Amino acid sequence: MKGFEIRGYVILALAALFLLPLTAPAATPGVDKNEIRIAQWGPQTGPAAPWGSVARGSDILFQLVNEEGGIHGRKIRYFVRDDQYNPAMTVSVVKELVERRGVFAFVGGVSGAGGMAVKDYLAQNKVIWVSPATALNEYVFPVNPYLFGMYPLYDDEASVLTKYIVETLKAKKIGFFYQNDQYGKDGLTGTKKRLASYNNMSLVEEIPVEPGEKDLSSQMLRFKNSGAEVVIMWVNPTTATIALKTSATIGFSPQWVSSNTLSDYALMNAITGGLWEGVITGAFALPPDSDNPLMVRYREAAKRLSPEERWGTFYLAGIAFAEPLVEALKMVGPNLTTEACLDALNSITDFQGIGPKITWRADQHQGTDSIQIQKCGPGGTAILLQDWTSNDLATWK
Amino acid sequence: MIGQLIIEGLAIGACYGLFGVAVAIIYKTSEVVNFGQGEMGMISTFIAYHILIQYQFPFWLAFIITMIFAILLGMFIEFFLLRPAKDPTVLGLIIITLGAEMMLMSLVGWKWGAEQKDFAFPLSVRDTHEILPGLKLNEWTMGVFILTALIMVLLYLFFRYSNLGVAMRATQQNQNAAKIMGIKVERVFSFTWAMSSVIGAVAAMFFAARSVLDPTYMMEPFMRAFAAAVLGGLTSIPGVVLGGISLGLIENFFGYAWPHWKPIVAFVVIILVLTLKPSGLFAKHYVKKV
Repeated sequence: MKGFEIRGYVILALAALFLLPLTAPAATPGVDKNEIRIAQWGPQTGPAAPWGSVARGSDILFQLVNEEGGIHGRKIRYFVRDDQYNPAMTVSVVKELVERRGVFAFVGGVSGAGGMAVKDYLAQNKVIWVSPATALNEYVFPVNPYLFGMYPLYDDEASVLTKYIVETLKAKKIGFFYQNDQYGKDGLTGTKKRLASYNNMSLVEEIPVEPGEKDLSSQMLRFKNSGAEVVIMWVNPTTATIALKTSATIGFSPQWVSSNTLSDYALMNAITGGLWEGVITGAFALPPDSDNPLMVRYREAAKRLSPEERWGTFYLAGIAFAEPLVEALKMVGPNLTTEACLDALNSITDFQGIGPKITWRADQHQGTDSIQIQKCGPGGTAILLQDWTSNDLATWK
Repeated sequence: MIGQLIIEGLAIGACYGLFGVAVAIIYKTSEVVNFGQGEMGMISTFIAYHILIQYQFPFWLAFIITMIFAILLGMFIEFFLLRPAKDPTVLGLIIITLGAEMMLMSLVGWKWGAEQKDFAFPLSVRDTHEILPGLKLNEWTMGVFILTALIMVLLYLFFRYSNLGVAMRATQQNQNAAKIMGIKVERVFSFTWAMSSVIGAVAAMFFAARSVLDPTYMMEPFMRAFAAAVLGGLTSIPGVVLGGISLGLIENFFGYAWPHWKPIVAFVVIILVLTLKPSGLFAKHYVKKV
């Protein structure tokens, strides 16, 4: 009998040993005493590769953090994966990063379609995702507890730009040229809402365009015929280039205004053969040649750490997107867990790096509605026209 | 405004027509639709871009070197990719051209990257001349008109009077009979691909000057040019050019009146034409007896 009892105690003790690891608090994935694993996907090859510099830009900030000893003794280990702007590839690389590399958080991530393809997967796996590099209402409304957006929504941006056009440029006749998708339509919505606030002012012309269209003669002739003094365009760089070249051909020279997606002046001025000079755009970060001390520090670091990279808008956007995550990690302290980091992100208030001021709350994960207004100067330089301005008509705040 | 719409429609239409001719030449001799045509023109234009930027050669010299490259490229694809195909069917050959398209696009992406570039073409779209009050003609448009007309005349003379042109027509009508008559059909194919590649490269340079240069910039013009060729009749070279011009005019007029429908109008017209006259508007309809 006693033998049975002893055996029983031994079995219980063994069972307890097996159960112990299950009942102990699970370690946070992507964090150990030496490192924090952070990742980003982005098109490094394929047609959208120019936007791939966002992911490489974030690396500059992480390298700087590591040079300074890391965050509370932990170095950042950063992974970049090429999804070729293909949502199926985004899913594949994100799964690899979560399940095999065990990353703690994602930052940035170009492509709305790619982001939408992994948004729920990341939330289900409780992986934090900070500052997607696209403005999508679906990212932030309703609140996803693991996703924090800082990219200004396109309707907010269009609203602020339209206010500038009406109140500062004093334009009466405004046309709108938009890509026939959610991006273009969000811009159009913002402009229309703003115009409606000026005694129901309306657009003299609104024309959609398919992203691949190469002949825009009839559209530009229509704008010319409408007498538009300002044409806002919410299109891609190629369409914008063709629009400007075609307009030059037919002798139509309105004031062009565009979204921040076309704010890489060096690139736009080069591919339009200089026609981009004078174009006004929104901007989600300070001008690349800004003498802001933080910007100077990043610019010098980029020169030193990645001299082969062009210091352009999208490259530095990668830094701007990563700044709030680094700030939250610093706020957490040495006991880093996913929950602690979420608490820190939810308490970020008026944080500002080289982008707009960011505020996140547990019930509000769209961090900003502010943009700067800049103008392309000679040689693709950026001229600041209006400092950070928020959309007073935004209804989501 | 109508006058300017006509000019713009004619200009882009002539460009579609010119590129459609490159597609039609290969189709005429082998019944193969070359889906790599756009990317063949694209890589040739990148070669010109590279010579202009890297070596700072004058444009005429870069143009000549590019044309030599285009000839070699056309012959290379025919000799190394299509000719080795065993017991080829037309469908099999078309699939090979699709493979060539992807290969060329990847090659250009690897070598020059995906970032858009400006192609410094000497005929500017910005240098305009007012030919009538309110009616502007730019250098690019004049270049397209002159070049298209010139290539049409040269092709007419070539197919009508040169031995090689007659051999190409014979090969198209009956390969076996052409072989019996002593025509070296393989050489005819090689020459056809070279000729098509050259015309495609010239048209691709015109497209690049109007748009931007990147590895995907010829995808949409190829689709339009192919549509224009189908509209005019793939076996008729003048028909292809007229098809291109018709397409340019239809798109511009329709696009002006109803901009929302511009992207699809051309294809609706083409479906109608194919339903009513399958060989195209300007080609003779042949029925093969079996």
